[in-house]
Amino acid sequence: MDHYNQYTVEELVWDVSFRNWVLSPTREDHQLWEGWLLDHPEKREVVRQARTMVLHITPDEGSLSPFEKRQAIKNIISSVGQESGNQPAANPHKIYPRIAMAVAACLVLGFGILWAYNLHQRPVGIDYQALVSQAAKPLLERQNASDTAISIRLADGSRVELQPKSKISYPRQFDGGKREVFLSGEAFFEISKDASRPFYVYANEVVTKVLGTSFVVRSFSEEQEVSVRVKTGRVAVFAHNDPEDGNAEDANRLSGTILDPNQQIIVERKSVKMVKSLIPIPEMVHLPEETPVFDFDEIPVKDVFAIISSAYGVEIITDRTVSYDCPLSANLSGMSLFEKVDLVCRAIGVRYESIDGKIIIEGKGCK
Amino acid sequence: MKTQKVFQDLRDEETRLWDSLLQGDALAFEALITSCYDLLFQYGQKFVADRELVKDAIQDVFLEIWEKRQKIDSSIPPKAYLLACLRRRLHRMQKKSWPLLFTDPSDTQSDFMVEFSAEYQHIEREKDRLLAAQMTALLHQLPSRQQEAIYLRFFKGLDRYAIAEIMEIHPQSVSNLLQTAFKWLKTKWVFVVSTFGYLLSAFDGRL
Repeated sequence: MDHYNQYTVEELVWDVSFRNWVLSPTREDHQLWEGWLLDHPEKREVVRQARTMVLHITPDEGSLSPFEKRQAIKNIISSVGQESGNQPAANPHKIYPRIAMAVAACLVLGFGILWAYNLHQRPVGIDYQALVSQAAKPLLERQNASDTAISIRLADGSRVELQPKSKISYPRQFDGGKREVFLSGEAFFEISKDASRPFYVYANEVVTKVLGTSFVVRSFSEEQEVSVRVKTGRVAVFAHNDPEDGNAEDANRLSGTILDPNQQIIVERKSVKMVKSLIPIPEMVHLPEETPVFDFDEIPVKDVFAIISSAYGVEIITDRTVSYDCPLSANLSGMSLFEKVDLVCRAIGVRYESIDGKIIIEGKGCK
Repeated sequence: MKTQKVFQDLRDEETRLWDSLLQGDALAFEALITSCYDLLFQYGQKFVADRELVKDAIQDVFLEIWEKRQKIDSSIPPKAYLLACLRRRLHRMQKKSWPLLFTDPSDTQSDFMVEFSAEYQHIEREKDRLLAAQMTALLHQLPSRQQEAIYLRFFKGLDRYAIAEIMEIHPQSVSNLLQTAFKWLKTKWVFVVSTFGYLLSAFDGRL
């Protein structure tokens, strides 16, 4: 890692290892970079700037609506299909006679299968338009075409911070036993507590159910993944498998998972595969005035873990058969969650891993 | 670790679809089109602004692959193969639309053009916005082939072998393109930092 000591912001931005740490960190990346930062606190500012750039400098991409894409794919499939059916091709100038001859024989069957397949299942994901069109009552829609977030207050007092290029549909009044909104894009939700009426956010293939809490949903139709990040409280996230079955009340029928503060879930849209993890930089769940003191003096390591665990609302799991009774003296204030855990683990010679939104401590413990 | 696993699975999934498609599986054909369409469209638009033309070219690429599927070397990763086909086809289209007088291919090859931008609304500090703007400005000054290599390597996650396949150059040349680009960026960055140093420290004082 030593060669990074001389790196400028620009060099970090284009360093593959650094980008990986920012964009899709592994435990090894965290250990490597957080460890390096601990040794070189003077590099924090450079790292912060480089991180900002990695996250926010992107190439402009031509926008392709889901509809336009579906149409284009349909054209390709039917060009293949029409040739096989010996009908006039839609774009005759583009189909070479040679291709037509060769493809014709093998495609009669293929096209038939495709057509039958299309009847039974739509390979494209569930999109915002489809969800909104199925809503029972008329909805209001707000779209954020500006380049800053806008704040929207819902009828129940909940607040939504809608990010640019995003839109949300919601009823003027929430009636009935649940509150439902539909999102395309990214928004931060601060939901007012009402245990009798759970709040549902429908975002493409993912349904998020909450009672009262704050969290971020990111679900752009052109992106491959939908993510939900929890700030406070607890939320349940479901895969919205069937667009016909817009009813998430019966949670047992849906494959769901519970998220606690500082946890996030990333749903890969095509396979609806869910991966739960901790958000990259977990925040403390306490109000600032309740912030525990992280200046430990001869405190048993197991208590240190307990304090960190409750401060961030993140479960820290140790092997029950080994003890963590040895005392620790260290000042961990001002460090991030991973830095704190990393430092404690180094001090007593054990390792940690962040799995499934929890922190697992592995090692022989200390007496 | 988990996120990377997801990406890995996605890649494996594409390779699996690719193998099935080459064996004549029409469902895999459609699934692969769906999975790679955005990437192809975005890349195509870097050469040709006309979206209909890009869509036509992508259509031709897939039709040709379906026709020639028995002869295609399945060891080439699908993404690299598709992007390489699209690139060639777009260049050929451009050439055809030029009068025969200009027959030198290098004359008529349309250049890769990419606009980088920083999502300024997401950057909190004024100073960071300024730095990000400087970085994008520098990126735009790079020669088109270096921009293309950077785009494929850093924003589409392709390795140098895939990029070599796509740009029809040797893998070593890909590394050279990137190294030249970063060397230049490095020199210019020193200049940016020293020129803006005063301005930046002013921002520091305010924030």
